[in-house]
Amino acid sequence: MSRLQLKGVAKSYGATKALRHADLDIGAGEVHVLMGSNGSGKSTLSKIVAGSVRPDTGEIVLDGKPVTISGPQAARALGIAIFYQELSLAAHRTVAENICLADLPSRGAFVDRKALEARAAKYAALFEGVTGEGFSLDAVVQDLRADQRQLVEIMKTLAGEASVLIFDEATSALDRAQVERFFEILRDLKREGRSIIFISHRMDEIFAIGDRATVIRDGEIVGTRQIADTTPAEIISLMVGAQEEAAAPADAAPARAGAASVLSVRNLSGAGFSDVSFEVRAGEILGFGGLHGQGQSAVLRALFGANPSASGHVELSGKPLHPNNPSVTIRQGVAYVSGDRSRDGVVTGRPILENVMPIHYLRERMVLANPSALAAKALPALQALRTKFAGLGHPISSLSGGNQQKVVIARWLIDRPAVLLLDDPTKGIDLSAKTDLFTLIRKLAAEGMGIVLYASEDAELLDNADRILVFNGGSVRRELTGAERTRFNLYQAAYEAA
Amino acid sequence: MASIEAPARSRSGSAVKRAFERYPFLPALIILVVLIALNGWFQPRSVSLVGMTGQVKTYLALMLLAVAQTYVIYAGDIDLSAGAIVSLVNVVIVGVMAQWGGDGVTIFVALAIGLATGLACGIVNGLVVAALRLQAIVATFATSIFFTGLALYIQPVAGTPAPAAFWRTYGGRILEIPFVFYMAVLFAILLVVLVRTRLSLGLLAVGDGQQEAFQSGLPVTRIRMGGYALCGVFAALAAFCITGDTASGDPLVGGKMTLFSIAAVVLGGSALAGGYGTVVGSVIGALIIGFINSLVFFVGTPSEWQNLVQGAAILLALMTGVLVGRRARA
Repeated sequence: MSRLQLKGVAKSYGATKALRHADLDIGAGEVHVLMGSNGSGKSTLSKIVAGSVRPDTGEIVLDGKPVTISGPQAARALGIAIFYQELSLAAHRTVAENICLADLPSRGAFVDRKALEARAAKYAALFEGVTGEGFSLDAVVQDLRADQRQLVEIMKTLAGEASVLIFDEATSALDRAQVERFFEILRDLKREGRSIIFISHRMDEIFAIGDRATVIRDGEIVGTRQIADTTPAEIISLMVGAQEEAAAPADAAPARAGAASVLSVRNLSGAGFSDVSFEVRAGEILGFGGLHGQGQSAVLRALFGANPSASGHVELSGKPLHPNNPSVTIRQGVAYVSGDRSRDGVVTGRPILENVMPIHYLRERMVLANPSALAAKALPALQALRTKFAGLGHPISSLSGGNQQKVVIARWLIDRPAVLLLDDPTKGIDLSAKTDLFTLIRKLAAEGMGIVLYASEDAELLDNADRILVFNGGSVRRELTGAERTRFNLYQAAYEAA
Repeated sequence: MASIEAPARSRSGSAVKRAFERYPFLPALIILVVLIALNGWFQPRSVSLVGMTGQVKTYLALMLLAVAQTYVIYAGDIDLSAGAIVSLVNVVIVGVMAQWGGDGVTIFVALAIGLATGLACGIVNGLVVAALRLQAIVATFATSIFFTGLALYIQPVAGTPAPAAFWRTYGGRILEIPFVFYMAVLFAILLVVLVRTRLSLGLLAVGDGQQEAFQSGLPVTRIRMGGYALCGVFAALAAFCITGDTASGDPLVGGKMTLFSIAAVVLGGSALAGGYGTVVGSVIGALIIGFINSLVFFVGTPSEWQNLVQGAAILLALMTGVLVGRRARA
């Protein structure tokens, strides 16, 4: 008997199709696993069921009746609760308040504090013994550790007493004991006949708790398997797709014997990563792969001096580098381009020329500038990237995302850095801009620059990186070189239990 | 799995630290006590019963308006029209009382109309900001001009007197205790009651993150509108106090109070970004502003320097509050 059915559900954001066509069937008393790589549409599907995203088309059937889920409140009323991957907690409220927030026990207009405490205590008791130091019902959420916040979100989801529960990466920060307790609770819910949609990137968890697994690839459901009848390799094959699996790895740049190492990192540790070591040789594109947020960005930002690194040894072209501050690392020849243009790249509201020049100002310690002399330096850099713009004096906001990113990259081309750190640089830019960008990156490498590329899109990594370090849980799990650089190997290393 | 340990934070805070975390208005309270002591040092009579009565009588309106502002700021919004609502309610009640004679019954009717006016203004703000989703700071600036315009239409010039029965009661005594102290007690009870409401908690949760609150299934638009409505009601109460204190109608009386009310909220330790704060803090913040004003006067600042000294003193109080709070929580 199926509890929840999705029929032809689709959702687009502008030109991006987040979910092309989803048919899904979830039974009562079932833990249904959703698998798929970064950006395949799992979270969009979850949010549609939970009412916080409205689908463009498609039908949702709950207990045999077609329903329209107009918002999160409506979803709750229908008995659907969700654990949001990015959490939905109020940082300044207490644990107890957060657990009960969606449905406050009340008498008239007043909050019934006693009932609230009692209800929260009931759900907190489920995790007794594994919550860790500093956790209590009256603790303020912002004082809790990441794993404790995740537990609060789990308790909040359970407090909905829903018949359909969605857990979107609910275990990513939990330790072993916490995960085991959580799974015991899930098994109890199963016995009560509740339906659970479970999203996780940990293969061992999926095989420990799942009944069936559905794989999503590029917004489309590609297959559903009984967990008992399948293997991790089969799941990964589904995620990769038959064509991709057969595809030969892209040619790596011929390994240059004796090419000098431009960047050497030994035992670098910091917030979000530990004991990372690697070398980048001149002319090489080193790829960082793996799931989102496994430490790739944190390592790049630490090398740039934007985030503090706790310990480790870094050498740039043979000289020790102390990445404490970007202005120091930039002067020594480190370049960093982030995919988050609005936070790290674009100087909003200023002309294109001013957006190309800041690094030049910094490296040359310029005080006064002459616009025409600057333009002579800016134009070749912009042209190298085939940037489309009407004039250097036009505001940066008049450009498309791809061209904005080209302007940001151009600022590093006036004074050549020794190392270019690319932190998911193609986020939100169009295909032709991507092609231009990777052509340029390859050219820069050929000219002797060392390049580190983190790309959340696996295809970009496989097509462009000469070597790939797969990150998992904040450390390098595996190095893929030459013919090993296949999607299958990449996924296997990224999804294995860390 | 290799859990990535965040740097362990010391949780074994001392009793002082816990107190400051629980009562974010403590720094403001310390500043207030120092200011009262300084007032007493320079003008011993200011800390007598008569002096304190005068202080409460003058600044009860600002306290109420600071509380009004707090509810809106809880949710991360702001109300730049709070002072204009005070002006509008002031001329409305004085106008009604003057129209119908100043006896007991009409005074109560006038006050009821005043409350309804404040509530209506609050609902207008709520509709514009929460339902139409216009920027709070600009939208309430616009409604402030609108409300001031209405006040000027009702009473183009200042000076219509309020009936004697009204302001004599406000400034008088019942059973030898000044009337304003009864009001202060009633006000305190009202605040204690409101703290326990669902709306109060909802406003704070919305201030912590609208997206998160929406995803949790909270009625975000309704909650924000509730905040503005509450703000309107408290602004009307503030207008009653102003009317009792000044004994007349003035279509511009509240205008300059708006930014003072916001300053009081911040002085009281609440976050302008929303999600964090207390109404008690805002009351203390309003009193700090009041005692700074009187201190500036008592130390004998020449009149042309008073504004400058007053501004510098508020800045100093703000800095002290931030520093004391940070030290205690560190």
